[in-house]
Amino acid sequence: MNKRSSIEQLEQAMQQVLSDRGAPLPQVEGEVGRLLQIAAGLRDLPRPTFKAKLKRELEEKTMSTATVSSPARAGFTTITPYLQVREANELVEFIKSVFGGEEIFRSGPGSEGGMHCEMRIGDSMLMIGGGPAWRGTPKPSAIHLYVKDADTTYQRALAAGATVLNELTDQPYGDREGCVKDAFGNHWYIATNRATGAAPSGLGNVTLSLHPKGADKLMAFLKQAFDAEEVFRAASPEGVIHHAQVRIGNSILEIGEAHGQYQPIPGAIFLYVPDAAASYKRALEAGASSLWSPAEMYGDLMSGVADPFGNDWYIATHLGSATQ
Amino acid sequence: MVLERSGTTASHEEGKERLLVEAAQKDPARFAQLYELNFERVYAYVVRRVRERGTAEDLTSEVFHKALAHLPQFDWRGIPFSAWLIRIAANLISDYWKLSGREVIADLPEQPSAENPEAFEESAHLFRMVDKLPTDQRRVVQMRFAEGKTIREVAQEMGRSEGAIKQLQFRGLENLRIELSGEHE
Repeated sequence: MNKRSSIEQLEQAMQQVLSDRGAPLPQVEGEVGRLLQIAAGLRDLPRPTFKAKLKRELEEKTMSTATVSSPARAGFTTITPYLQVREANELVEFIKSVFGGEEIFRSGPGSEGGMHCEMRIGDSMLMIGGGPAWRGTPKPSAIHLYVKDADTTYQRALAAGATVLNELTDQPYGDREGCVKDAFGNHWYIATNRATGAAPSGLGNVTLSLHPKGADKLMAFLKQAFDAEEVFRAASPEGVIHHAQVRIGNSILEIGEAHGQYQPIPGAIFLYVPDAAASYKRALEAGASSLWSPAEMYGDLMSGVADPFGNDWYIATHLGSATQ
Repeated sequence: MVLERSGTTASHEEGKERLLVEAAQKDPARFAQLYELNFERVYAYVVRRVRERGTAEDLTSEVFHKALAHLPQFDWRGIPFSAWLIRIAANLISDYWKLSGREVIADLPEQPSAENPEAFEESAHLFRMVDKLPTDQRRVVQMRFAEGKTIREVAQEMGRSEGAIKQLQFRGLENLRIELSGEHE
């Protein structure tokens, strides 16, 4: 059979195939028969316009998801340090007078007799909990704080009762930085970048700093539980992590191996994630223990875990303004 | 050796898919890549079961919208992402039959229990191959099979003779057959 008649024969058989999809395939020998088999398989070929339209719909949906539905409450980033001390009221006043913190919200007493306060320092949020009647275990934190003028802030901190951990000096990495401990157990690394006067790219005014025993193990936990991404690590030839940063969501967390006066300060961390129930489950699988299972609280779906290093994590997903 | 090579390819594909899923879980805008990888597979699975094009499109659309909405809950300990999509599709098809009041007939060849479980993968592969055809051949195949146009309608739309369209159709199918049989290698 010449090519021309093969082409015609195929078209005729195809018209049958396409007009009655339930009918058996016409019996055709040779190459045309084989092509007819392919043609039968193509009867269900999706319309390219449908494929493109559905893709567009999904893209529009992901764009609206990204802009409208944030897992965090307005004003919050992924990580918010949650400083819990018995002298919570005094700590709030200290943060106001020394760091220019602004009180945004206060409530209490809660189930353990404590107050809860939310404060803003520059572009970052802090939570303060506790109080004289509070029955919980104090959880102060170490905070890396970028301010406009480290000298003034450092002096104000000392005047307000903080003690020196590290004198204010020009650091080789370009920051003027000093470290103080407030009267409530929190460490504050007060810094100003000498060149820019602003926090380095990626960091807010407030960055939580952790000094666990076993920094590498904590980083592995954070990766498994919360999808933390390692931004960088500076380690000794033996692998001891002196300083590292990990990113969780849109926040950075600083981690360094405990040493000298920088020993572990097991803290409390408020964490906004896209799916609190899933993150809670993964945290438990990564070795954390449950403090409470996911439940709706204050407009968030919130759960609590204690990691193997003694830190408490409040894992939350904001449920939207309608539920607040 | 062939088995070994295909095994490596499969795990490479799985690894690539896994990275894409993780990326999309962090940034939903990346879901488009997962869609591109899996569209033909899902559509083939659905259309083999419901047959009617409009219903297949509605259900396929629902599978991907559902997958996007539930993406944060997907985790790798269970099944590959593509199998997860097929599971969503199977549930939606089952709901569809229930809602439309039609009984699932056990011996219908399109039913999953009766057909070769890989058959929809073969269809999906064929659909993907169409995208790789030279432009004119691809347009002819798409218009004839997906859009149900006659040779005359295709000829008018492409500004070619009916004979030329038949030739393009023949060559397109030939190329697909060669591609599927692996003769080109």
